[in-house]
Amino acid sequence: MTKLARGRTSACGTPVWDPLVRLIHWSLALTILVNGIITDDESKLHEWVGYMALGLVATRLLWGLVGPRHARFSAFPPSIRGAFRHTWAILRGKSDVHLSHNPLGALMAYNLWATVIVLGVTGYMMTTLTFFGVDWVEEAHEAAFNWLILSVALHVAGVLFESARTGVNLVRAMINGRKHIPPGNDVV
Amino acid sequence: MKIRTPISFAKERRATLLAGIIVVQALCALFFIADVIADFRVDDYANNLHLGIEALAALALVGGVVFLMVELRRLLERIKDMDAGLQVARGQMAEVMDAFFEAWGLTQAERDVAIMVLKGLDNEVIAEVRNTAPGTVRAQTAAIYAKSDTQGRAQFVSLFMEELMSGDFAA
Repeated sequence: MTKLARGRTSACGTPVWDPLVRLIHWSLALTILVNGIITDDESKLHEWVGYMALGLVATRLLWGLVGPRHARFSAFPPSIRGAFRHTWAILRGKSDVHLSHNPLGALMAYNLWATVIVLGVTGYMMTTLTFFGVDWVEEAHEAAFNWLILSVALHVAGVLFESARTGVNLVRAMINGRKHIPPGNDVV
Repeated sequence: MKIRTPISFAKERRATLLAGIIVVQALCALFFIADVIADFRVDDYANNLHLGIEALAALALVGGVVFLMVELRRLLERIKDMDAGLQVARGQMAEVMDAFFEAWGLTQAERDVAIMVLKGLDNEVIAEVRNTAPGTVRAQTAAIYAKSDTQGRAQFVSLFMEELMSGDFAA
């Protein structure tokens, strides 16, 4: 009887990603997709979409300072050691679920943001008189883009792997903001 | 069965709207900052007043973004508190129901039927869910109303409504 009345918490899921995090996430994904595939590299549109991506990352970084618990940097500090520990836990078959980013996912998030910043800055430099046509800037922009594509692929693979491993649908969590954690997982 | 209340649903929609405004305003703020920097590099000090006003606008926008972010965080915290309060209330409701059923000496089958009555199911549906004859459910509900000293479904449900509405329920 108590179960009947209390079972709703699990049906509802734990709110983890606030609307701003989700909006920025999907907007950033869209700008990367648009600039990587659709727009002409030389076009003004490519520039503006790039600045938008830069603005989205800047907003996310600010939100990491003033936002709610799971969006804050303190919830997912960049930690190589934490990433190793998490990898070790995966290898041993431990199923601990992190409400914010898991340590590997956190490193990926920082990596993606940093790469977008590098892309934005080198992209801007190419439009300035000082750096226009300078080889290393263009090469850095190209290299950063390749790195970004690789990172996005790894990010998607990581999300799918982690969803399958823990049974928490992470894609849905980034859409409706809630993680539905199946029983038997240790929440970290 | 509703999972979220209309109030918290409305608040969540408000939070989403606020997030959208924050993103747009942050992009505008960055546009103005970039414009100020670009103007500064081109004009030098040629158009001081114009530059000053633009810088002020940019600063105000950034301030607005931070303010809205703090507002959004507060709103999200309020939603969370409301959900937590609701869960506490649900838990207490369960305890209240248990206590009543215990006091009336309902059998396990009668308790299950009573819960379904409280959830608004009618006798035919209860019979279907429990895989029994409608006559059995009618006998069980009759026993429940007799033991709880009520005249029927409406009065039985209102017993619990009464408990929810009385001031001393909320601990």
